[in-house]
Amino acid sequence: MKNARIAILFIMSAFCSCQKVIKVNLNSAAPRYVVAGNVTDQPGPYTINITKTIDFSQDNTFPGVSGATVFITDSNNNITDTLTEGSAGNYLTHTLVGVPGHTYHLDIAVGGNIFVCSSTMPQPVLLDSVRTQKSSFGKNIDVVPYYKDPVATGNNYHLTLKVKDSVSTEIYIHNDDLINGNEVANTLFNNIDVKTGDSITVELQCTDHKVNQYYDNLQQTIQQNSATPANPQSNITGGALGYFSAHTVDRKTIVAQ
Amino acid sequence: MLLLFALPAIAQKHTLSGTVKDKSTGETLIGAVVQTDDKTAGTATNEYGFYSLSLPAGEHTVKINYVGYTEQPQKVTLDKDVTLNVSLVAEGKQLNEVVVSSKAKNENVTSSQMGMNTLNVKELNALPVLFGEKDVMKIVQLLPGVQSAGDGNSGFFVRGGGADQNLILLDEAVVYNPSHLLGFFSVFNSDAIKNLTLYKGNEPAQYGGRLSSVTDIKMNDGNDQSYHVNGGIGLISSRLNIEGPIVKDQGSFLVSARRTYADVFLGLSPDTTIKKTKLYFYDLNAKLNYKLSDNDHIYLSGYYGKDVLGLGSLFGLNWGNATATLRYNHIFNPKLFSNTSLIYSDYTYKININTFGIDASILSVIKDWNFKEELSYYANPDNKWSFGLNSVYHTITPGQFGGNISVPNQPETHSWENAVYVNDHWKASSKLNFDLGVRLSTFSVFGGDNKFYNLDKNGNITDTMQYGAGQIVETFATPEPRASASYQLNESSSLKAAYARNAQYLHLLSNSTTSNPTDKWVATNNIIKPEIADQFSAGYFRNFKDNTYECSIEGYYKAMQNELDYKDNAQVLSNNPIEPQLLFGQGRAYGVELSAKKNEGRFTGWVSYTLSRTELQINGINSSNWYPAHQDRTNNLSVVAMYKLSKKWTVSADFVYYTGDAVTFPSGKYTLDHQVVFYYTERNAYREPSYNRLDLGATLKLKEHKHYSSELAFSLYNAYGRENPYTITFQQDPNDPAKTQAVQTSLFRWVPSISYNFKF
Repeated sequence: MKNARIAILFIMSAFCSCQKVIKVNLNSAAPRYVVAGNVTDQPGPYTINITKTIDFSQDNTFPGVSGATVFITDSNNNITDTLTEGSAGNYLTHTLVGVPGHTYHLDIAVGGNIFVCSSTMPQPVLLDSVRTQKSSFGKNIDVVPYYKDPVATGNNYHLTLKVKDSVSTEIYIHNDDLINGNEVANTLFNNIDVKTGDSITVELQCTDHKVNQYYDNLQQTIQQNSATPANPQSNITGGALGYFSAHTVDRKTIVAQ
Repeated sequence: MLLLFALPAIAQKHTLSGTVKDKSTGETLIGAVVQTDDKTAGTATNEYGFYSLSLPAGEHTVKINYVGYTEQPQKVTLDKDVTLNVSLVAEGKQLNEVVVSSKAKNENVTSSQMGMNTLNVKELNALPVLFGEKDVMKIVQLLPGVQSAGDGNSGFFVRGGGADQNLILLDEAVVYNPSHLLGFFSVFNSDAIKNLTLYKGNEPAQYGGRLSSVTDIKMNDGNDQSYHVNGGIGLISSRLNIEGPIVKDQGSFLVSARRTYADVFLGLSPDTTIKKTKLYFYDLNAKLNYKLSDNDHIYLSGYYGKDVLGLGSLFGLNWGNATATLRYNHIFNPKLFSNTSLIYSDYTYKININTFGIDASILSVIKDWNFKEELSYYANPDNKWSFGLNSVYHTITPGQFGGNISVPNQPETHSWENAVYVNDHWKASSKLNFDLGVRLSTFSVFGGDNKFYNLDKNGNITDTMQYGAGQIVETFATPEPRASASYQLNESSSLKAAYARNAQYLHLLSNSTTSNPTDKWVATNNIIKPEIADQFSAGYFRNFKDNTYECSIEGYYKAMQNELDYKDNAQVLSNNPIEPQLLFGQGRAYGVELSAKKNEGRFTGWVSYTLSRTELQINGINSSNWYPAHQDRTNNLSVVAMYKLSKKWTVSADFVYYTGDAVTFPSGKYTLDHQVVFYYTERNAYREPSYNRLDLGATLKLKEHKHYSSELAFSLYNAYGRENPYTITFQQDPNDPAKTQAVQTSLFRWVPSISYNFKF
């Protein structure tokens, strides 16, 4: 159904539309904590990043929040790692090793708030290949990762795309609701001008369902199509924005053809 | 009720009845006035052109009147019941004639009906249009209390109600999606349309099923005197209308078709993406009618329309309405008129996807079978009774999947909507008129493959239930009283008051900023309750200079129950159960509507202004406080002017101003995964910039031939090029990544158009 929206927006733009920057008076809001953190099946350390919201009119500098107490517990073996702050707002693990099938608990105490979350790392699905092809639209080059969805249901995917040094801001998520057990070829539409010879890195992450929903919400928030825009539903309880995800990683780098 | 039929005649009276038609086309005239020359007794023709008037025995002169037609006096001797069919002659009517009001000259003052507007489709001819396409729904948006759903959009809001709270009927059939091409055109081809009546929540008891309004559109019957072809050629579309007698004076047919060809121009584009884009619509109206005898008349009418949108072979979306109405009018006796209808309505959309390794289709349908019976009993000159029943079987297919995707179909839901009603149009005295009625509506939802849920306080599913096919799971019943009264202060002014309750059992889910063909209809069930509105209104109506100027002021207050809004992050188009994504609460809307209208002369037009507020209170949104509905627009002004410059030229203009929609903007921002994400706090707490627009139009009548006439219509939409907001989005400043900015997208600036209309 998202395609319907993309197509409609595209056709709208074919009308005589025009855009301009306008001044909108936006209120200032009490700052809220934002948490973004991952545990992966790659070697650590893993990072939990804590920041705060700022007013719309302020510059895009988001100072890290220092002085938080952060633990991650592997609930399958009951090992707790106490994170230490590196650069401001970035908290790093020491001994923790991400293992597929394990559930990780995150505990944060900061500024009188307690934020709690748990996330289970699914079994990995690997990329078979990444290819480039001429886009069906315009003159772009599309990047297409190929992988096979396993027979079991309930797989959730999050993909990232890096072309040379720029990371695509598009959110690529997928699940097996419609295609369980099939070969998947997911075109990663993007607004980066990919040229022959560019180095392209695609990362396939297998996430749990709540994290997948978070990205789905985040995509809706970023696209700004909804009549009732809202903050993505965080999987963290206690009132923080953001997410905590235990996920697998498989990465492939190719040269654009 | 039966007693009413048995009321004895007090004095010796006889009934004069018949049909009023246009002499040259044979089209029946709706709302023509039949009156004794001393004006002591009178009536108006119903929607089939029929009238019935009981008068004392003896000699009478009755006058038959219809605006734009020559008044016709008729002498009758009533020594028994008399049938008098009248054909009126149009007053030198031309292709570009401007007629603003079709009813009796002071109907607005004398009738007890309020919150109502009638449009004669001929009004359209002179007004400016977008893309050269005349559209009745765009004219409706210029009426007091009615607001456009957005720039160039044919959707509308009435007295604070949502776009899905308008009942739109084409020859009695419900049109579920009245728009083409993403809302920029309505499905109503003005060539095929005779008359449009809009009721703003105070509709008579014969109508029901939507909270805010009824738009009742009647198709032309077709000329039963001679064959005619008319049409138009425009920049992006063309129209052709053919009509004529089957048997002269007995029956006629009409076929009207329209096709856009914007996509032909897309093919010329050097951009391969645009070249591969398909984007067009077509529609077809057809009608047959045949008079079986003086007392029996049968009508068959239908509509079929389709939009086609596609991006190469990757993606396709087709959607369209189909309706059919079989109608049988029978005159039992001069006092008892019957209308029986069997109606079919269908709205379908189909999505084809061939990408992401998926080659599949999704089909979604809402389909109705509808039976209606209405009896009009002209008991005596002071009482006209209507009785009726209505039974509709709804089938909703939310999603049927085809192709290589392994998903179970979304199960169909079946439901049954019934109503019985009675209404008395009562002339209590020469000054006091009443319309008193009640409608009892019921809605039963059936079991089958579809699941029902129980939810906990937080909206999580606690139980999933399934019932046998054909088993009634729950029935809702709502008595809907309707009453309106007018007190005539003098010949040219009156006071009116009205109360009406309306219930709505089907709800449209559309959590997006634009109207989409894929918006989803859902039926009432154990969780989604019937929406109910109680509307109180009062007004003062005053005409000046022998009814040349009509002025009115109306106020309304509407209380609504079981209104719905969406939870944060709701995705109404997903396959997940919809009930947990919705929130329910109450609404209120109130406002004042001022209207001044000039009906006759070289200069005609109107000004309408509405001051209003619409709010919702839903637990779980904005700390459960009252908040403005998206369509809450404080000020709304429309000015329409037409001036007949010469025999050849007519010029026109319209101006629209309204307060910006209540919208949700971010109140902050944060960073996540290498990008800036906006932070939202309150729903609908901000305002879009106000909307304003001026359109200009001109019509040039070309040289007239004996059997052929034609005209050129010029329009300039948004004449001063105002950049009205279509959407406002927020982004990182492309020139300064340290900043964020708001970007407004506007659609239509200075859209000129020209079309050539002909008739022979």
